Amino acid sequence: MSWHIDETTWRAYAAGRLDAVAESAVEEHVTSCPGCRDGARMVVGDVEPLWHAVHHQITAQLTAPAQSRVLRLLARLKVPGADLVVVGAARDLLTSWSVAVGAAVCCALLTGLVPVHLPGGPPALFLVIAPLIPVLAVVAAYDATDPLREITETTPFSKLRLALLRAAAALTAAVPLTVAVALAVPALRGYFATWLLPGLALTVTALILLTWLTAWIACAVVGGGWLAAALAAAAADRIDGAATGPGQAAFALVVVVLGVVLVHVTTTQHTRGVAP
Amino acid sequence: MTVTLDNVTKSYGRTVALHPTTIRFDHGVIGLLGPNGAGKTTMLRVLSSALSPSAGTVTVAGHEVTGSHAERTEARRRIGYLPQEVVFPRGMTAFGFLDYIAVLKEWGDTTGRHDEVRRVLALVDLAERATVKVKALSGGQRRRLAIAQALLGDPALLLLDEPTTGLDPEQRASLRGLLSGRPGTVLISTHQTEDVSALCDRVVVLDAGRVCFDGTVPDLLATAAGRVHQGPSANPGAVQTWRTGTGLIRSVGGRPAPDSSAVEPTVEDAYLLLRSATPEGAPA
Repeated sequence: MSWHIDETTWRAYAAGRLDAVAESAVEEHVTSCPGCRDGARMVVGDVEPLWHAVHHQITAQLTAPAQSRVLRLLARLKVPGADLVVVGAARDLLTSWSVAVGAAVCCALLTGLVPVHLPGGPPALFLVIAPLIPVLAVVAAYDATDPLREITETTPFSKLRLALLRAAAALTAAVPLTVAVALAVPALRGYFATWLLPGLALTVTALILLTWLTAWIACAVVGGGWLAAALAAAAADRIDGAATGPGQAAFALVVVVLGVVLVHVTTTQHTRGVAP
Repeated sequence: MTVTLDNVTKSYGRTVALHPTTIRFDHGVIGLLGPNGAGKTTMLRVLSSALSPSAGTVTVAGHEVTGSHAERTEARRRIGYLPQEVVFPRGMTAFGFLDYIAVLKEWGDTTGRHDEVRRVLALVDLAERATVKVKALSGGQRRRLAIAQALLGDPALLLLDEPTTGLDPEQRASLRGLLSGRPGTVLISTHQTEDVSALCDRVVVLDAGRVCFDGTVPDLLATAAGRVHQGPSANPGAVQTWRTGTGLIRSVGGRPAPDSSAVEPTVEDAYLLLRSATPEGAPA
């Protein structure tokens, strides 16, 4: 053995300053040179902390939950890690998004099949069904984490933030899909945006009801109420009233009022108790 | 760390689960004993802020759980709560579940949060099961995972509703070791009287929504001194009797049989005697 590793080289190696060729030469040499291994100990000192640090890093990588493609994309978009955990808790949104896709497809089929001579025709049916799609997606996102409601309730995390995070994550699929349905069906093109305010009003109503009700019961109440209102409007021959200027203005006002109610209930209400 | 209930009542419709109760809990491990429906779970849920009391004030470390939103949030920062039953979301791993709860407990920094998750997993001996889906864990492991979420952040007030349900004797002993060394206040609702005698500095017995005993374990045992006997025949009028492994009959309460001798009472004996003195617990 014609050479040995001096202290300067060891320090450069430990600091990662050697080039690839020099680094492999050091590594190959040290496997067969006990003297240089001792030299390494003198430079690095106690290897226990280093070993623990490496072990800790490996354990951390092995145990941390793997993120889905969607969450990795959101991480790249600089969404905070804690928010990603909340969003990912809804089973990586798969159920929620699947519900949104299924509902949007059903909506497209139904509006495509409805006879044009019926009162209001396809647009009226679209205006009845479309606002329920985001409600379904949000409720599906809630349903996944609903079993933990009693624990969630006792944590300091803002319930409003929790509600909005889950809702926003669910709506990222539901809203574009429903708009796409409206754009794809020729008879609906003029209505692609008119369902948004009713949809928002229904979604916020569902979020408010989720303070007291389980996810699917809240969904049933909102859906049932909306369909009953739609039937009443159809009976009065005012089914397309939601698409008119005054109708949209009324929904905008309702959204504002419901938003205030949502802020109030998420900061003041507790889970409704049931007798043990 | 002081926790107080001031004239707290909780009713479900016409059913009163907790009659007006004023009680203070300081540092130490406190056991809540009582039959099913006595109000133990209701008391813990009210303390945890999961449930609003019908009347009265709850304070945790000077912060009113029943007060403003800001006050309640401050109180919640000091609470770790284990409900009686935890239904886990499908599809989560043990680590993922704790990570989610840690976020809700305001652990924003990922590295620190993951370290904390690993710490509590190790405390309940589940470090090796971190990546396993919750649905694949055994009942005892799920219970320990539920306990782990309550331990996140080392809360000053730990509220545990029947924590030892589903745990084997070794795991129960391990949990006792974990809880006995904790600073702060630990409230345990349990049916396991041996957990109370092994662990608790103080015992509160609830019956039909009222506190019917509040004192130390020796105080509780003293109420049964000279009232538990063992012999070949049962005490007439005993609250409970059973044949022990030695073939002798152990009698709790009643008039001592002539051939029996008094034995050291256990917490269970004292609890049975206490229950028999209440209208709800008296033998028919």
